[in-house]
Amino acid sequence: MTQTVFLVDDDAGILKALSRALHGEGWKVQTFESAEAFLARPNPNDDGCLVLDVTMPGFDGFELQRRLTETKQYLPIIFLTGHGDIPMSVRALKAGASDFLTKPVQVQALVASLRSAIEQGASARKLRAEVANLQRRLASLTPREREVFAALATGKLNKQIAADLGVVEQTVKFHRARIMERMGARTVAKLMHIAARLGIG
Amino acid sequence: MVCGSRPLGVRARATVRATIALWVALLGFAVRAAETAPAGVLILHSNQRPTPAQVVIDDQLRTVVTDGFKRPVQIFSEYLDDEWVSLQTYGAVEAGFLQQKYGGRNIRVAVTDSLPALRFAMQFRERVLAGVPVVFLAVARDRVDRASIPPDIVGVFEDHDPTPTLRLAQRLHPGTTRLVVIRGASELDRLWDHRLRAAVGRLGNGLEVEYLAGLPTADVLRRVGALSRGTVVFTPGYFVDGDAQVSTPRQTVERISQASTVPVYGAFDTLLGAGIVGGYMTRYEDQAREAGALVVRLLNGVTPAEIESSPVARVPMVDWRQLRRWRVDEGLLPAGTIVRSRDPTIWNQYWREISVAAVVLVLQAGLIAALLVERRSRRRTATALEGTQAQMSLAARAVGLSSWIWDTARDVARTTPLARVAPDPSPLQPIAFDRVVAAAHPADRDSLKRAVSMAQRTGEELDVEYRVVAPGGAVRWISARGRAEEREPNRLLGIALDITERKLAELRASEDRAALRQMGRVSMAGQLSAAIAHQLNQPLAAILGNAEAAQKILGHQDIDVKELRAICSDIVSENHRATEIMRRLRELYMHGDIKIEPIDLNQLILETLELLRTELLLRHVTPVTDLATVPAIEGGHVQLQQVLLNLVLNAADAMDGKKPAERTLTIRTESAATDVRLHVEDNGTGIAGEHLKNIFNPFWSTKAEGMGMGLAICQSIVASHHGTITAANNAHGGAAFCVTLPTAWRESSLT
Repeated sequence: MTQTVFLVDDDAGILKALSRALHGEGWKVQTFESAEAFLARPNPNDDGCLVLDVTMPGFDGFELQRRLTETKQYLPIIFLTGHGDIPMSVRALKAGASDFLTKPVQVQALVASLRSAIEQGASARKLRAEVANLQRRLASLTPREREVFAALATGKLNKQIAADLGVVEQTVKFHRARIMERMGARTVAKLMHIAARLGIG
Repeated sequence: MVCGSRPLGVRARATVRATIALWVALLGFAVRAAETAPAGVLILHSNQRPTPAQVVIDDQLRTVVTDGFKRPVQIFSEYLDDEWVSLQTYGAVEAGFLQQKYGGRNIRVAVTDSLPALRFAMQFRERVLAGVPVVFLAVARDRVDRASIPPDIVGVFEDHDPTPTLRLAQRLHPGTTRLVVIRGASELDRLWDHRLRAAVGRLGNGLEVEYLAGLPTADVLRRVGALSRGTVVFTPGYFVDGDAQVSTPRQTVERISQASTVPVYGAFDTLLGAGIVGGYMTRYEDQAREAGALVVRLLNGVTPAEIESSPVARVPMVDWRQLRRWRVDEGLLPAGTIVRSRDPTIWNQYWREISVAAVVLVLQAGLIAALLVERRSRRRTATALEGTQAQMSLAARAVGLSSWIWDTARDVARTTPLARVAPDPSPLQPIAFDRVVAAAHPADRDSLKRAVSMAQRTGEELDVEYRVVAPGGAVRWISARGRAEEREPNRLLGIALDITERKLAELRASEDRAALRQMGRVSMAGQLSAAIAHQLNQPLAAILGNAEAAQKILGHQDIDVKELRAICSDIVSENHRATEIMRRLRELYMHGDIKIEPIDLNQLILETLELLRTELLLRHVTPVTDLATVPAIEGGHVQLQQVLLNLVLNAADAMDGKKPAERTLTIRTESAATDVRLHVEDNGTGIAGEHLKNIFNPFWSTKAEGMGMGLAICQSIVASHHGTITAANNAHGGAAFCVTLPTAWRESSLT
């Protein structure tokens, strides 16, 4: 585990204690005394996991989570609060947080939560990469091919599509073969699956 | 040391007898010590601390027993504390303790001050004071089965039959045809049903009666708000209403009489001042006096069997402000009616007495003038003077005041004989001013001396209130007024008046106020509890993290001692932080009197904001402070903090509807000529114009869940610091509160 834990809390005592405890467990830790300080961190591309206090002066933990999503900084987030209630935790998890813990927290619980957050983060990253790849492929289709792809995705037969577009069935078949090749789908079922992931149809 | 001297005296006597038989004397030592100890009387109070009623009972018992029993007597008071601990479970321990403490004290009579104390005595008497007769008081006649009381327990009962009170109401409001009776829903409240039905039957004069029994308070208030002329209300107050809401009789009576369109009558003198017109009340001093007389009889050897327990006569008591409210003709009051709460100026309160005294003083001055003219007939004049003095004493005694003359040149004072007021038993003998001062309460001596020398120097009127301590320890309040004679500036003339009763009423009122403020603080503590729990979790989380890090280090091969030391020191300081949070929270729950101390207002503000830190964070309010250098003021720390908490939380409430980034809360201090000002300003909804004049009124609130007491409490606290609090709207929207506190004020009058 060489990933960095970013601790954000307005309480210096807690930053010190938690970074000591996490160091003891072999983690790299960076601390920030406010959400603003974290946003202005020198290496925004470093990978890791964010452990975030909810209640802070200036903008709070939820606001930081919103801004990170807005700017597409997909770090896994664990919320850590002294005063958690159910509505608060639901709000955090709905907005994509991996966990919602209350203070005081035992270091073993925090470590377990960090591990699963990082794992989740990794698989989420993989999924995002796959979708990005498919989108790139989609972009390489001609406008006509995209039209045919959309019609296929709704489940229409070649004959119907040909009638809709005013072409012969053979042309539709030709487009379909090109689409499957470009999208990397070997079967029609696979193509339908890709369409669903891209939200086409 | 007092205890030590007694056995020594006994031992001396024993030595004389040792010539006969030394060992006999030694064996008899302990027994004789007990026999020769003065007679002991043990007063058992049920409460934990003296309430005003118990102060009256204790003082009166001590005075009556000490005066009535001619031989030495020792009186002990014990507070059983049945409000906090159940005497069912704890009584045996308490009994054991009392046995140890008083077993060798020659206790001859025990007195109980209430029903719980009587029950305790009945249950544990054999263990504590076997064979000692018990005298009880303040027990309602219909609450005990008389047959269950052993023959050697005697005492005085309280009579709760409301008949005379209802008759009084009919007498004071001629044309009354309808009576509305209100009682609550608890078991104690139900006791009144029987009393009231019996009383109404006894009246039997065609009065139309409506019972409002066990209704929700809101219904009761609506009903009494719509009563028509010719109706009167009677209520003993209640503990629990039809909605199972719990309160005290005084609180319920306050609300009922405020809402009522017709006069309200009550059953206890403690309800006087809560809005009732009055009624026939049993006074504690009367009960204590009669119980004291029983104690003296028992001490003198009368057996309990010869004594019959009987109820104490009641006296009509009324509230002067209510008489005015309902336009009652004072001429209708029965003879001997006690009128409470007259306007507080001494003239309004005692104008009859003062007029009489003034006439007496004029007569006396004339006599003195005549005395100077007719030097030759000195002897005749002396006789006349004595006669006048006797007349004057008679007049003064009739109105309860004494007059005095003080010749400052010769330092000789003369005063009319009025035992209650003058501590000197031989009033016709001149007394030196020093002795007057010596009789005063130690805390009041300086102000008394200052006032007198001021009056003497400037010729201004003397006006001073002070306490005197009687030999038995009873304290009475005296108001003295006078001025130097124009022709003879060395001679001061004046009157002295016993104002103890008024002071007691004031004390009672101030206790109510203190309880209300305490309630306000507790409700605020409740409001803040979530935020404070959060705040407390911060140091706890830090402590846990540090401790786990330390455990990890201890598991290593080579231990980093330096790091361990740093961790431990951090744990200690986090612990201090937690303690500090708890201390501030505890202050909110604190009971008790106001402690006057010098206060740095700026420091108080910073401390209060620290207490509110998380609460304000959760509400997205960031306070801004602008603190000028201000002189220290005298005041109660907890009370002033309560004012600040109220104002800041109100401001935060007012800004709830605003976007977090737009909420501004400003706290400023400034120093003016003779005072210090504290401003709390927000940019919330502000105060609607028509509400500005009402916001400091009790029970006035615009919040759905508000009690409407916060600002009323603030105003009462600020007023007791001789300051003012004002509310206004900012030019740019939002409310601005300003508290002005004087930097110096007379210390004696904080309430």
